[in-house]
Amino acid sequence: MAALRDGDFAALQILLKAPSKDAVRQLCQECFSSPPAALGPLAQRAGPGLAVSAEEAEQLVSALHNLTRHVVYRGLTRAEDILCLFPENFHQNLKNLLTKIILENISAWRNEAQASQISLPRLVDMDWRVDIKTSSDSIVRMAVPTCLLQLKIQEDAALCGNNPVVSALTMELSKETLDTMLEGLGRIRDQLSAVANK
Amino acid sequence: MGLLNFTREPVPEAVSADMHNLNQLSAQQFSALTEVLFRFLTEPKEVERFLTQLSDFATMNKISLGPLKNIVKSILLVPNGALKRNLSSEQVRADFIALGLSEEKASYFAEQWKANSPTLTRLAVGQTLMINQLIDMEWKFGVTAGSSELEKVGSIFLQLKLVVKKGSQLENVYVELTLPQFYSFLHEMERVKTSLESFS
Repeated sequence: MAALRDGDFAALQILLKAPSKDAVRQLCQECFSSPPAALGPLAQRAGPGLAVSAEEAEQLVSALHNLTRHVVYRGLTRAEDILCLFPENFHQNLKNLLTKIILENISAWRNEAQASQISLPRLVDMDWRVDIKTSSDSIVRMAVPTCLLQLKIQEDAALCGNNPVVSALTMELSKETLDTMLEGLGRIRDQLSAVANK
Repeated sequence: MGLLNFTREPVPEAVSADMHNLNQLSAQQFSALTEVLFRFLTEPKEVERFLTQLSDFATMNKISLGPLKNIVKSILLVPNGALKRNLSSEQVRADFIALGLSEEKASYFAEQWKANSPTLTRLAVGQTLMINQLIDMEWKFGVTAGSSELEKVGSIFLQLKLVVKKGSQLENVYVELTLPQFYSFLHEMERVKTSLESFS
């Protein structure tokens, strides 16, 4: 989360040197998605395209990052709200272009922020199979159904960067355990509908 | 001795003598002893109680405890083998007779075996190997109010804590689910239940 700083809007005017509107759009998206630590390398890549010094590129990238993230943080959805953020003497066309780009991307960005927020390890996939146990060392002949459940769990995305660690946990459930679990899950569902109906 | 149902291995020599001693007990004494034995078999954790009851039986019937314990060890060979091999009460009776027990006592024991076998079978099945058995599940759900990236969120999260037995240790696994994932999980678990029930 970044707050808008005074120098940011001055730095944004560097975008006037951008070759095309699409280039601006592309840069906005990259700046939003990049975590603060990766802004340096991003500036190095973007600098040559804009024909600016390394320092100016860094300021620009940082400013765009702050602006886009600020809008997403505040949950601004109307053009007027975004336009008000800009100072009076800001270049009109650039202001309108940036506002338009932000509005186009706002809901995707919001989803991205929500998907990458901190959480406990997340469930990514779930598979099951039912086996019938026919024999064991304690009893030679039987027919006991049992369930094998495999959960694929992904560690916190923020900790893993681009290589999320997914671990698979396979568990065995007896019929009794499954019944108890379903009872618990049913109670959750009932409580969820009670909350939804309020 | 002919082929026995409850075991393929040769039976220890002492067993014949023990059966002979058993035959000396009255019907009432035999019935009391059988009761003690089955109470232990159906509750195998109650070792203290079993030993106390055996020693009471020994005192009441003026039998020495040592020989009694040997007799009990011999008797228990049959039900343990019978459980493993899903023997019928007929087969249990036949085995006792082959070992030297009187017909009357063998029939009585076989009847008690039949009466107790559902419980005993359930116990044996319960001891069967389970991989990473799920022991417990705790849950909580709530609303995410805000985050460092989003001032106002208002989305529902569900957190599960699964307690899994890995070998002899318990391991806690924490998982978070979104609402759609929860409904999908619930749906799948209901399908599993239907599948398990169709095989029971």
